[in-house]
Amino acid sequence: MEKQLEDIKAIREMMEKSSKFLSLSGFSGILAGVTATVGATFAWLYLLRNPEATNFNRMQELTILLTDAIVVLGLSVSFALYFSWKKAKKNNMKLINKTTLKTIYNLGIPLLAGGIFSVICLWRGDVEIVASVTLIFYGLGLINASKYTFEEIHYLGITEVILGIGAAIFLSHGLLFWTIGFGICHIVYGAILYKKYDLK
Amino acid sequence: MANIISNLNKAFDSRIRLGIMSVLMVNDTVDFNTLKELLELTDGNLASHIKALEGLNYIQSIKQFIGRKPNTQYSITETGRNSFQDHLNALEKLIQ
Repeated sequence: MEKQLEDIKAIREMMEKSSKFLSLSGFSGILAGVTATVGATFAWLYLLRNPEATNFNRMQELTILLTDAIVVLGLSVSFALYFSWKKAKKNNMKLINKTTLKTIYNLGIPLLAGGIFSVICLWRGDVEIVASVTLIFYGLGLINASKYTFEEIHYLGITEVILGIGAAIFLSHGLLFWTIGFGICHIVYGAILYKKYDLK
Repeated sequence: MANIISNLNKAFDSRIRLGIMSVLMVNDTVDFNTLKELLELTDGNLASHIKALEGLNYIQSIKQFIGRKPNTQYSITETGRNSFQDHLNALEKLIQ
Protein backbone atom coordinates (compact mmCIF):
# COMPACT_ATOMS: atom_id res chain seq x y z
CA MET A 1 0.00 0.00 0.00
CA GLU A 2 2.74 2.42 1.03
CA LYS A 3 4.74 1.60 -2.07
CA GLN A 4 1.78 2.15 -4.38
CA LEU A 5 1.14 5.59 -2.87
CA GLU A 6 4.82 6.47 -3.19
CA ASP A 7 4.80 5.24 -6.79
CA ILE A 8 1.86 7.46 -7.72
CA LYS A 9 3.53 10.42 -6.04
CA ALA A 10 6.76 9.75 -7.97
CA ILE A 11 4.87 9.46 -11.26
CA ARG A 12 3.08 12.76 -10.73
CA GLU A 13 6.29 14.53 -9.69
CA MET A 14 8.20 13.24 -12.70
CA MET A 15 5.41 14.22 -15.11
CA GLU A 16 5.33 17.75 -13.68
CA LYS A 17 9.09 18.15 -13.48
CA SER A 18 9.60 17.04 -17.07
CA SER A 19 6.81 19.01 -18.69
CA LYS A 20 6.63 22.25 -16.71
CA PHE A 21 8.91 25.21 -16.15
CA LEU A 22 9.15 24.95 -12.38
CA SER A 23 12.24 27.09 -11.88
CA LEU A 24 10.22 30.29 -12.18
CA SER A 25 11.09 32.27 -9.08
CA GLY A 26 8.30 33.78 -7.01
CA PHE A 27 10.76 36.12 -5.34
CA SER A 28 11.60 37.71 -8.70
CA GLY A 29 7.86 38.38 -9.13
CA ILE A 30 7.84 40.35 -5.89
CA LEU A 31 10.87 42.37 -7.02
CA ALA A 32 9.30 43.00 -10.46
CA GLY A 33 6.18 44.29 -8.74
CA VAL A 34 8.17 46.64 -6.53
CA THR A 35 10.14 47.91 -9.55
CA ALA A 36 6.92 48.56 -11.51
CA THR A 37 5.39 50.41 -8.56
CA VAL A 38 8.47 52.60 -8.19
CA GLY A 39 8.54 53.28 -11.95
CA ALA A 40 4.87 54.21 -12.01
CA THR A 41 5.21 56.41 -8.93
CA PHE A 42 8.12 58.20 -10.58
CA ALA A 43 6.06 58.80 -13.75
CA TRP A 44 3.16 60.07 -11.68
CA LEU A 45 5.14 62.41 -9.41
CA TYR A 46 7.53 63.67 -12.04
CA LEU A 47 5.20 64.11 -15.01
CA LEU A 48 1.58 63.14 -14.93
CA ARG A 49 0.34 64.61 -11.64
CA ASN A 50 0.83 68.14 -12.84
CA PRO A 51 1.85 68.37 -16.50
CA GLU A 52 1.98 72.19 -16.40
CA ALA A 53 4.70 72.17 -13.74
CA THR A 54 7.31 70.87 -16.17
CA ASN A 55 8.21 72.50 -19.47
CA PHE A 56 8.65 69.33 -21.47
CA ASN A 57 7.05 69.15 -24.87
CA ARG A 58 5.04 66.08 -25.83
CA MET A 59 7.98 64.34 -27.48
CA GLN A 60 10.18 64.80 -24.39
CA GLU A 61 7.38 63.56 -22.16
CA LEU A 62 6.97 60.44 -24.27
CA THR A 63 10.70 59.80 -24.23
CA ILE A 64 10.82 60.02 -20.43
CA LEU A 65 7.83 57.68 -20.06
CA LEU A 66 9.26 55.18 -22.54
CA THR A 67 12.68 55.23 -20.84
CA ASP A 68 10.99 54.72 -17.49
CA ALA A 69 9.01 51.77 -18.89
CA ILE A 70 12.07 50.19 -20.53
CA VAL A 71 14.12 50.47 -17.33
CA VAL A 72 11.28 48.78 -15.39
CA LEU A 73 10.99 46.03 -18.02
CA GLY A 74 14.76 45.49 -18.17
CA LEU A 75 15.12 45.24 -14.39
CA SER A 76 12.13 42.90 -14.07
CA VAL A 77 13.40 40.53 -16.77
CA SER A 78 16.87 40.55 -15.20
CA PHE A 79 15.42 39.69 -11.78
CA ALA A 80 13.34 36.89 -13.30
CA LEU A 81 16.36 35.43 -15.13
CA TYR A 82 18.75 35.72 -12.20
CA PHE A 83 16.50 34.29 -9.49
CA SER A 84 15.08 31.56 -11.73
CA TRP A 85 18.64 30.60 -12.63
CA LYS A 86 19.47 30.39 -8.92
CA LYS A 87 16.35 28.33 -8.22
CA ALA A 88 17.17 25.96 -11.09
CA LYS A 89 20.68 25.51 -9.76
CA LYS A 90 19.38 24.77 -6.28
CA ASN A 91 17.07 22.08 -7.70
CA ASN A 92 19.83 20.58 -9.85
CA MET A 93 18.08 21.60 -13.08
CA LYS A 94 19.22 23.56 -16.09
CA LEU A 95 17.49 26.92 -16.50
CA ILE A 96 17.26 26.62 -20.26
CA ASN A 97 15.53 23.44 -21.34
CA LYS A 98 12.61 22.49 -23.55
CA THR A 99 9.93 23.60 -21.09
CA THR A 100 11.60 26.94 -20.40
CA LEU A 101 11.75 27.63 -24.13
CA LYS A 102 8.10 26.59 -24.56
CA THR A 103 7.08 28.95 -21.75
CA ILE A 104 9.06 31.85 -23.21
CA TYR A 105 7.74 31.18 -26.72
CA ASN A 106 4.11 31.06 -25.63
CA LEU A 107 4.45 34.16 -23.47
CA GLY A 108 6.48 35.88 -26.17
CA ILE A 109 4.04 35.81 -29.06
CA PRO A 110 1.21 37.84 -27.44
CA LEU A 111 3.83 40.00 -25.74
CA LEU A 112 5.55 40.84 -29.01
CA ALA A 113 2.23 41.53 -30.73
CA GLY A 114 1.20 43.77 -27.81
CA GLY A 115 4.54 45.56 -27.85
CA ILE A 116 4.27 46.37 -31.55
CA PHE A 117 0.63 47.39 -31.10
CA SER A 118 1.60 49.71 -28.22
CA VAL A 119 4.27 51.38 -30.32
CA ILE A 120 1.71 51.90 -33.10
CA CYS A 121 -0.69 53.46 -30.57
CA LEU A 122 2.05 55.80 -29.31
CA TRP A 123 2.99 56.62 -32.90
CA ARG A 124 -0.61 57.60 -33.62
CA GLY A 125 -0.70 59.76 -30.50
CA ASP A 126 -3.01 57.43 -28.59
CA VAL A 127 -0.99 57.49 -25.38
CA GLU A 128 -3.80 56.86 -22.90
CA ILE A 129 -4.80 53.49 -24.33
CA VAL A 130 -1.28 52.03 -23.95
CA ALA A 131 -1.73 51.05 -20.27
CA SER A 132 -4.76 48.99 -21.26
CA VAL A 133 -3.03 47.43 -24.29
CA THR A 134 0.04 46.33 -22.31
CA LEU A 135 -2.11 44.82 -19.53
CA ILE A 136 -4.38 42.89 -21.92
CA PHE A 137 -1.61 41.46 -24.10
CA TYR A 138 0.55 40.62 -21.09
CA GLY A 139 -2.42 38.85 -19.49
CA LEU A 140 -3.11 36.87 -22.67
CA GLY A 141 0.57 35.92 -22.84
CA LEU A 142 0.48 34.64 -19.25
CA ILE A 143 -2.68 32.61 -19.88
CA ASN A 144 -1.05 31.14 -22.99
CA ALA A 145 2.18 30.25 -21.18
CA SER A 146 0.54 28.98 -17.99
CA LYS A 147 0.08 25.50 -19.50
CA TYR A 148 3.83 25.06 -19.18
CA THR A 149 4.35 26.43 -15.68
CA PHE A 150 2.55 26.96 -12.34
CA GLU A 151 -1.24 27.06 -12.58
CA GLU A 152 -1.33 30.29 -10.55
CA ILE A 153 0.06 32.07 -13.61
CA HIS A 154 -3.22 31.34 -15.38
CA TYR A 155 -5.16 33.35 -12.77
CA LEU A 156 -2.59 36.13 -12.79
CA GLY A 157 -3.18 36.34 -16.55
CA ILE A 158 -6.95 36.58 -16.15
CA THR A 159 -6.51 39.29 -13.50
CA GLU A 160 -4.28 41.29 -15.87
CA VAL A 161 -6.80 41.05 -18.74
CA ILE A 162 -9.65 42.24 -16.50
CA LEU A 163 -7.51 45.16 -15.27
CA GLY A 164 -6.64 45.97 -18.89
CA ILE A 165 -10.30 46.18 -19.83
CA GLY A 166 -10.89 48.33 -16.74
CA ALA A 167 -8.07 50.61 -17.87
CA ALA A 168 -9.74 50.99 -21.27
CA ILE A 169 -13.10 51.88 -19.69
CA PHE A 170 -11.63 54.33 -17.17
CA LEU A 171 -9.16 55.73 -19.65
CA SER A 172 -7.89 58.62 -17.55
CA HIS A 173 -6.95 56.24 -14.71
CA GLY A 174 -4.73 54.07 -16.93
CA LEU A 175 -1.65 54.52 -14.76
CA LEU A 176 -3.54 53.43 -11.64
CA PHE A 177 -4.70 50.21 -13.35
CA TRP A 178 -1.20 49.69 -14.73
CA THR A 179 0.29 50.04 -11.23
CA ILE A 180 -2.20 47.55 -9.81
CA GLY A 181 -1.58 45.09 -12.67
CA PHE A 182 2.18 45.24 -12.98
CA GLY A 183 2.95 46.32 -9.41
CA ILE A 184 0.51 45.02 -6.81
CA CYS A 185 -0.51 41.85 -8.71
CA HIS A 186 3.11 40.82 -9.25
CA ILE A 187 3.85 41.35 -5.56
CA VAL A 188 0.78 39.36 -4.48
CA TYR A 189 1.21 36.46 -6.95
CA GLY A 190 4.99 36.52 -6.46
CA ALA A 191 4.47 36.12 -2.72
CA ILE A 192 2.01 33.25 -3.29
CA LEU A 193 4.48 31.43 -5.57
CA TYR A 194 7.35 32.17 -3.20
CA LYS A 195 5.51 30.76 -0.21
CA LYS A 196 4.13 27.75 -2.07
CA TYR A 197 7.13 26.67 -4.18
CA ASP A 198 10.37 28.58 -3.48
CA LEU A 199 10.51 27.80 0.21
CA LYS A 200 10.21 24.06 -0.38
CA MET B 1 -7.35 -8.29 -4.13
CA ALA B 2 -5.08 -10.89 -5.66
CA ASN B 3 -6.64 -10.16 -9.00
CA ILE B 4 -5.93 -6.44 -8.74
CA ILE B 5 -2.32 -6.99 -7.74
CA SER B 6 -1.78 -9.22 -10.74
CA ASN B 7 -2.68 -6.22 -12.91
CA LEU B 8 0.40 -4.40 -11.66
CA ASN B 9 3.09 -4.59 -14.29
CA LYS B 10 6.35 -6.12 -13.01
CA ALA B 11 8.29 -4.06 -15.54
CA PHE B 12 7.31 -0.91 -13.64
CA ASP B 13 8.34 -2.23 -10.25
CA SER B 14 11.57 -0.25 -10.45
CA ARG B 15 11.26 3.44 -9.59
CA ILE B 16 13.65 4.32 -12.40
CA ARG B 17 11.56 2.63 -15.12
CA LEU B 18 8.48 4.23 -13.61
CA GLY B 19 10.26 7.57 -13.94
CA ILE B 20 11.30 7.02 -17.56
CA MET B 21 7.74 6.05 -18.53
CA SER B 22 6.24 9.03 -16.64
CA VAL B 23 8.50 11.46 -18.51
CA LEU B 24 7.69 9.89 -21.89
CA MET B 25 3.95 9.87 -21.18
CA VAL B 26 3.85 13.68 -21.13
CA ASN B 27 6.64 14.52 -23.63
CA ASP B 28 6.62 13.53 -27.30
CA THR B 29 10.37 12.95 -27.42
CA VAL B 30 13.10 13.29 -24.80
CA ASP B 31 16.84 12.89 -25.34
CA PHE B 32 19.20 10.78 -23.25
CA ASN B 33 20.84 13.65 -21.39
CA THR B 34 17.54 15.24 -20.40
CA LEU B 35 16.34 11.90 -19.02
CA LYS B 36 19.62 11.52 -17.16
CA GLU B 37 19.23 14.95 -15.58
CA LEU B 38 15.57 14.55 -14.69
CA LEU B 39 16.07 11.17 -13.05
CA GLU B 40 19.48 12.05 -11.59
CA LEU B 41 21.15 8.90 -12.89
CA THR B 42 24.49 7.80 -14.29
CA ASP B 43 24.88 6.92 -17.98
CA GLY B 44 25.19 3.20 -17.36
CA ASN B 45 22.29 2.96 -14.97
CA LEU B 46 19.93 4.82 -17.28
CA ALA B 47 21.10 2.90 -20.35
CA SER B 48 20.36 -0.48 -18.79
CA HIS B 49 16.80 0.50 -17.83
CA ILE B 50 16.20 2.01 -21.26
CA LYS B 51 17.40 -1.20 -22.84
CA ALA B 52 14.97 -3.22 -20.75
CA LEU B 53 12.04 -1.00 -21.71
CA GLU B 54 13.06 -1.08 -25.37
CA GLY B 55 13.22 -4.87 -25.16
CA LEU B 56 9.61 -4.91 -24.01
CA ASN B 57 8.74 -2.62 -26.93
CA TYR B 58 7.45 0.01 -24.48
CA ILE B 59 9.73 2.76 -25.75
CA GLN B 60 11.56 3.38 -29.00
CA SER B 61 14.63 5.39 -29.91
CA ILE B 62 15.65 7.48 -32.87
CA LYS B 63 19.37 8.02 -33.29
CA GLN B 64 20.47 11.17 -35.06
CA PHE B 65 23.35 13.62 -35.22
CA ILE B 66 23.25 17.22 -34.10
CA GLY B 67 26.28 18.60 -35.89
CA ARG B 68 28.80 15.86 -35.20
CA LYS B 69 27.40 14.88 -31.83
CA PRO B 70 25.25 11.77 -31.65
CA ASN B 71 21.87 12.42 -30.10
CA THR B 72 19.29 9.79 -29.22
CA GLN B 73 15.66 10.70 -28.80
CA TYR B 74 13.27 8.43 -26.97
CA SER B 75 9.51 8.19 -27.27
CA ILE B 76 6.80 5.96 -25.88
CA THR B 77 5.17 3.30 -28.08
CA GLU B 78 1.47 2.55 -28.30
CA THR B 79 2.09 -0.69 -26.38
CA GLY B 80 4.04 1.23 -23.75
CA ARG B 81 1.33 3.84 -23.35
CA ASN B 82 -1.38 1.19 -22.91
CA SER B 83 0.68 -0.86 -20.48
CA PHE B 84 1.54 2.17 -18.39
CA GLN B 85 -2.09 3.28 -18.36
CA ASP B 86 -3.15 -0.19 -17.18
CA HIS B 87 -0.48 -0.04 -14.48
CA LEU B 88 -1.70 3.39 -13.36
CA ASN B 89 -5.30 2.17 -13.19
CA ALA B 90 -4.22 -0.84 -11.13
CA LEU B 91 -2.27 1.43 -8.76
CA GLU B 92 -5.28 3.69 -8.33
CA LYS B 93 -7.62 0.78 -7.63
CA LEU B 94 -5.21 -0.50 -5.01
CA ILE B 95 -5.07 2.68 -2.97
CA GLN B 96 -8.81 3.29 -3.10
